[in-house]
Amino acid sequence: MTPPAEPAETVVSLQGITKRFGATVALDDASVSVRRGEVVVLLGLSGSGKSTLLRHVDGLEQPSSGRVHVLGREVTGLRGRALRELRSEIGFIFQQFELVPSLTVLENVLTGSLAQVRGPRLGLWSYGRAARAEGLARLERVGLLERAYQRADTLSGGQQQRVAIARALMQRPQVLLADEPVASLDPESSDQVMALIREIAVDEGLTVICSLHQVDLALSWADRIVGLRHGGVVLDTPTEGLTKAQVMEIYGRVATSTDQFEAIEHELGTPSEAAVVTGDAVR
Amino acid sequence: MTVLAERPRTARAPLAPVAAAPRRRVSPERVAAALTLVALLVASVVALRSVDIDPARMLQSWTNAERFFTRVGAVEFPPLGELLQLTALTLGLVISGTVLAAVLSVPVAVLAASNTTPGPAWRAAARFVTVLARAVPDVVLAMVFVLLFTLGALPGILAIGLHSVGMIAKLFADAIEQVDEGPRTAVRAAGGTRLQQFTAGVLPQVLPSWVATVLHRNDINLRGSVILGYVGVVGLGREMSFAFKSLDYGLGLGYAVVIFVLCVVMEIVSSSVRAAMLGIAPTGRGLGDRVVRRAARRRADRAAQESPVAPATDRAPAPRGSAAAAAPTVAAMARRPWDRTRVRDVTWGWAAVAVVVLGVVVCDIAWSDLVTVWSGVPAVAVQFWPPSFGSYETSVMVAAMGETVAIALAATLLTLVASVVVGSFAARNVAPTRGVRSGSRLLLVGIRGVPEVILAIVLIVVTGLGTQAGTLALALGGIGLLGKLLADSFEEVSAGPERALAATGASRLQVWAGATLPQGTRALVGHTFYMLDTNIRAATLLGIVGAGGIGYHLLNASQGSNYGAVTGIVLMILVTVLVVEGLAMWMRRVFR
Repeated sequence: MTPPAEPAETVVSLQGITKRFGATVALDDASVSVRRGEVVVLLGLSGSGKSTLLRHVDGLEQPSSGRVHVLGREVTGLRGRALRELRSEIGFIFQQFELVPSLTVLENVLTGSLAQVRGPRLGLWSYGRAARAEGLARLERVGLLERAYQRADTLSGGQQQRVAIARALMQRPQVLLADEPVASLDPESSDQVMALIREIAVDEGLTVICSLHQVDLALSWADRIVGLRHGGVVLDTPTEGLTKAQVMEIYGRVATSTDQFEAIEHELGTPSEAAVVTGDAVR
Repeated sequence: MTVLAERPRTARAPLAPVAAAPRRRVSPERVAAALTLVALLVASVVALRSVDIDPARMLQSWTNAERFFTRVGAVEFPPLGELLQLTALTLGLVISGTVLAAVLSVPVAVLAASNTTPGPAWRAAARFVTVLARAVPDVVLAMVFVLLFTLGALPGILAIGLHSVGMIAKLFADAIEQVDEGPRTAVRAAGGTRLQQFTAGVLPQVLPSWVATVLHRNDINLRGSVILGYVGVVGLGREMSFAFKSLDYGLGLGYAVVIFVLCVVMEIVSSSVRAAMLGIAPTGRGLGDRVVRRAARRRADRAAQESPVAPATDRAPAPRGSAAAAAPTVAAMARRPWDRTRVRDVTWGWAAVAVVVLGVVVCDIAWSDLVTVWSGVPAVAVQFWPPSFGSYETSVMVAAMGETVAIALAATLLTLVASVVVGSFAARNVAPTRGVRSGSRLLLVGIRGVPEVILAIVLIVVTGLGTQAGTLALALGGIGLLGKLLADSFEEVSAGPERALAATGASRLQVWAGATLPQGTRALVGHTFYMLDTNIRAATLLGIVGAGGIGYHLLNASQGSNYGAVTGIVLMILVTVLVVEGLAMWMRRVFR
């Protein structure tokens, strides 16, 4: 949980990214850079631009202005094979897991290796023995080896997210992006999944950028917290020594109207101390 | 209570005049659509009168029927060996054609689906291909191919294969558009190519529905193969047409019985395959579905009794007992265990491959024809152009087309009236008792079991050549489909308004008219247009077996080698079908 002792190279760098979808501005001159081996958590309200920021890192979105550099390559304007090669080095974990429900767990994991092979694959046998062995090893890593040949939709939410992590590991990535990986899970599964991501990041030397909306989880698992509001970066500090109240200011400062107060309440599930304080001011 | 009871019922006091309520604005398009509906209704009534179905005549034809059946004597069957060979040939031809259509449909569907198409132009082109393939009846295609190829199964396979692309590709594309985009995005984020995104993210999701579509189409094609026999495609249908043409009614009916049994058996088989492969209960389309559903329910009950399902837990399963104490190793898991799912999947998979291979083998296809045919194409193509009506006046042909449209309209009207009644009684929320519902459902299923062509042939034999036979055959056959669709739509309406009306003391009929029917109207309009669409095509085909209309001229022109006339008639049919299709699409859009 301590930041790396010696400053490592920067592997992800977003400089002055602005992204417009029609009239709405999703990202507004946001700059973030992440060093190798860091675990960075993005915090912010729904619609603050967390997902859009993550999607820029592996080129699922192209910025309206600004530049994105990942692993020494400029992502902006990258296309075709070069873009696919970059993406194959970046794992992506989704809120809704995004497994194919009717396929076996193992085959879902193996789809992570598609960028390493040519042409389409359908059926376990089509991936080859070596890939299957590696897929099983990845499943063992996430503790689901004995589920390898079950259909993916027979697993619980937490298990499915662990399969998705195994699928990302199958890419042998250098960077792991996670978009609200525990938002659809119960508290116990959330802890398990976050612990797993942290463990793997340390073991494999992965750089992790993860968006969350639980402040407590962010404080316990992140090296650094980046706060987003209205598409701009409003906080960028190491977690060490950071208090919950300080983090809550990401939300606190925006709570100037009843609407936003309620939005926070919704976001946090329960009225928290910060929200109550500002709530009083509002009322 | 007493106070309330004593209060006299107030006479309705005149309410204060309400200031003119704002009128609901009606879009001109809706008015136009409503007027079109009325016009179609009037046209249907006129058509029904022109077809001249009157009860007295029908009663008379009943005595015809008695006379006919005494004349037929016993139903005869051909020798068993010949029968088996013909059955295998018919099945093989239908299966090969359907598989061909499925293969051709994949690229068309990918281009036609909004989420996989490379561009709007591709999409429009692919959609046009499906509409065109649906509009050209397989019989017409078969006629052309019979001219091009030496006799054999190939014309039938190609006709079924090309025509079925219309339906299969459309349903394939609909399935692609309904997938969850998530898994595909995951493959994209992992660096997969477009093709890999499709095979790993989309294909596994659509496969079950694709298989169901192909099996369903195979059932339809088996029914249709009867009529292909009338234009010279080998199999049971052709033997039946020969028997009827040589007035050997006993043998003809024998073939008809065999085909009926084959259709029912095929439906049972395809339902079982769908249920077993997809693990879903069929929602019922015919007799086969019912049998399978009942069996599946019994099996599920037994399974539930045997093993109470353990809820999935999030934790890795703790070692249970000493035997299972050792956690599995990667090496031990390298081979996929032969559990029941795998055995089942592999068995079905190889069975399917075997059936398809057998189907192709049994057709004894003259593959060389596929090569040599190209040299014959220019010579034949020249004969098909320019379109003409040969020795017939154009007005005669237009009148014949009009007759076909009249048969379709009249049949649709009869079907609609009967289906609203039967369909309502077959709906759980409308039927007064369970017995009535089951009886009505059974009636619908029974009707569905008989291919329309066989119905038409029997009716023609009984009542003589003419439009009445065709109309009655279509009307009766249609009840099986439309009645079922309406019953399902009525069952799907929201129960709230029905309860509310019943609570105000409305009678059963009032509840139906006030709550059930208004909620089901949209579906009713949609299904009725679908019926009309189907009936126009079917009316053409029935003409070929002697039920009047343009089909009769089509068969004549083809058998008299008057190819210019074939082209002319086909173009006329095509235009009519496209007009009805366009009308149906417009109605579905307006009355959404």
